[in-house]
Amino acid sequence: MATAAAAPADSLAIPIDRAGRRARPLGRLWRDPLGRFGLGLVVLVVASAVGADLLSPLDPTALDPRLRLQAPSAAHLFGTDHLGRDLFTRVLHGGRIALGVSLISVGLALSIGLGLGMLAGYGPRWLDSLLLLAFDAVRSFPTIMLALAIVTLLGPSLHTIVLIVVVTSIPVYGRVVRTQTQALRGYDFILAERALGAGLARVLLKHVLPNVIGPVLILASMDVPVVVTIEAGLSFLGVGVRPPTPSWGLILNDGYTFIRDTPWPVLAGGFPLIVTTLGFTFLGESLRDIFDPQLRREA
Amino acid sequence: MTQRRLSRRDFLGAGAGVLAATALRPSGEAADTKALRVRAYVNYEVLDPAYLLGAPEADIMGAIFVGLVTVKPGDTWGWEKDAAVSIEQVDPTHIKFQLRPGIPWTGGFGEVTAEDVKFSYERIANPANKSPYKGDWAKLDRVEVTGSHAGIIVLKEPFIPLWSTTLPRNSSLIVCKKAVEKMDGQRFTMDPGATCGPYRIKKWEPRLSITLERNPLWPGPKPPFEEIQGVAILDANAAEIAYEAGQVDVTHVPMTSVPRLQGKLPANSALVTRPGLTYWWLGMQMESGVFADQRVRKAVQLAVDVKSILEGAFFGVPAASTGIIAPGLIGHREKNLIAGPNLEQAKKLLAEAGHPRGFKTEIGVRSSAEFLSAAQVIAAGLAKVGIQAEVVPYDSGAQKAIASDKAGGWKKMQMHVVRFSMQPDPSWATVWFTSGQIGEWNWERFSSKEYDTLHEQALTEADTAKRHAMYVRMQNLMEESGSYVFLTHGVNAVLCRNTVKPALTPDGNNMLLRRFQPA
Repeated sequence: MATAAAAPADSLAIPIDRAGRRARPLGRLWRDPLGRFGLGLVVLVVASAVGADLLSPLDPTALDPRLRLQAPSAAHLFGTDHLGRDLFTRVLHGGRIALGVSLISVGLALSIGLGLGMLAGYGPRWLDSLLLLAFDAVRSFPTIMLALAIVTLLGPSLHTIVLIVVVTSIPVYGRVVRTQTQALRGYDFILAERALGAGLARVLLKHVLPNVIGPVLILASMDVPVVVTIEAGLSFLGVGVRPPTPSWGLILNDGYTFIRDTPWPVLAGGFPLIVTTLGFTFLGESLRDIFDPQLRREA
Repeated sequence: MTQRRLSRRDFLGAGAGVLAATALRPSGEAADTKALRVRAYVNYEVLDPAYLLGAPEADIMGAIFVGLVTVKPGDTWGWEKDAAVSIEQVDPTHIKFQLRPGIPWTGGFGEVTAEDVKFSYERIANPANKSPYKGDWAKLDRVEVTGSHAGIIVLKEPFIPLWSTTLPRNSSLIVCKKAVEKMDGQRFTMDPGATCGPYRIKKWEPRLSITLERNPLWPGPKPPFEEIQGVAILDANAAEIAYEAGQVDVTHVPMTSVPRLQGKLPANSALVTRPGLTYWWLGMQMESGVFADQRVRKAVQLAVDVKSILEGAFFGVPAASTGIIAPGLIGHREKNLIAGPNLEQAKKLLAEAGHPRGFKTEIGVRSSAEFLSAAQVIAAGLAKVGIQAEVVPYDSGAQKAIASDKAGGWKKMQMHVVRFSMQPDPSWATVWFTSGQIGEWNWERFSSKEYDTLHEQALTEADTAKRHAMYVRMQNLMEESGSYVFLTHGVNAVLCRNTVKPALTPDGNNMLLRRFQPA
């Protein structure tokens, strides 16, 4: 338990050192080739999603069946799909959906998970047991089975995907935060604060939150590609985003249907998924190496 | 527990071996007279003729049971005698038949007799049994048994579709009275108790395949294939890959594969295409929300461009339809009442109905490529008049459940793109749009007294010209309601090895397995 208790204390070193040392981690990230590569890919994905309208003037849902299943050309960089839609434009706009869904749902799950985790770790024992029971109950469902069940009940849509991701991710963040909070609650500075009469809200927000948020942020950044693939996977199965909304999963599914005619749509749907997954994973791992000295020392 | 771990090298080695074996295998070997392997696009779940679910099941039933008559393979619809040595309509309500003696049941249940015929047909007709095919025998009064192998089918009133869709199809297949009577609810799924056709069931593997073998008791000529295997492969792409890998000899392929296959066929293969009988349409429920206003429905009819749907969703393979009754059948309309898209008129109607800027709605479709594509092309067309239609994919079961939900769930699915299967008699199409089908298969909730009356009258109208006019009028009524945009009858395409001579129904929908021959 000694190491577990030491970890948050060590990891405090960088995040709460506010005295002008923020540039150092970024500098270290830049010096790590894998981190630089990951950051580059993430910037590429985010920029292409944000600037979709600038990068391609075409409408992602405009049909022209006469131009169906064309190979890449100057007019259509990734070719066209079975309805003659420009795949490059659809990939760019699909990025908005993928990143939108993942950022919103990871953000929501993180906020709720943080709150509940801190309450469980700091609050009374009965609340801890109750929350743990809830976390474990949700986590005991296989994600995809739970997702399919929820989709059957609520119908396929963007909101349903967000709901599924939030519900299944809260316990993950909640458990991590709870453990960290439990370790912190016995620390002298917390005891001192309590002795001075600080309330629950002040202790949690002012003292616990800054100390637990670092590791979960890294966890969250590594979850982004997972959520992107959940969205793509559900859309691929026909239970996610509704057509004709561009989604990487839908592009992949359409591509799969016509894979015997042309490989381009499958490549167009798969390529951004690979780039996003690699980008966020490399970035997340690199951040973890920087912000988790325990791990760095072991390495 | 010891488990042999498959190393990457083992895997690659095994893969290379399989590839080499596939490459070295003489093409066509798959189709010797030992086994015929056909692909089914649904799982085999029911072999009871009274409760048939899908065409591939009907194909298997046709090989293990006999009927009085059976459908003739070829390009035009017709029938030929099967278990009947003689069958004739002595008057509009009496059909006299004589069974071929000496067709034994498997399992020691004796011979196929007139009692079995009576049991089989009256079982379907009896409303208490809730057979989805009770309409086939709706006019049956009784089957009179006049001898061990002779009887008379007595109708309450004349029934014209009898010779086109009842007698030659699954509703006339004969099941074993002694075996089925013992069963719970007098029905079965995959174990018929006894069969009597040229083939009998050897093995059924749920969700995988069914294997038939020659029935040694069959008194007729020995069927050409030692075994027939029906392999359930639900995904169309997987089916084509299975065909190329030599796992099946015959498979239906999607319409969108036709242009590619016509350009480049797999070795030693043939592609048979037949204009379909099924009918696809865009429907709008007419009771709730914006679509309760007929002007809105008419605006949609005017905004939809059927040609672009066929081009986009079906790669231009099938022709546009003019109703629910395909060319070549009585009642086929020459043209639609609405000549073609007219966006200006559509916008005007929408404005009159109080939606000058359109509205938001949903198109519910089955979650498969053709439906999704069709709905997306429709949505793009509707966007031109301001209607924003979102495409909602459903499992086919879920779509039916919503459309026929008694608690009002159907209101959620304002528009739908649907395909219904069809038999070669117009009554098979019109029956689903009667008022009695509201809450079941009449998803538009179309209700017209004139239509209902015409449907009933046409069932007994012997004058072909009059009957034709009745069905044309019924489709006019459907179109005038505004709730229907007829899309196509589709094309059935079958990919088959040169070593097999397929026997298909004229629409290419059913495989008459008994009649397949080695080429």
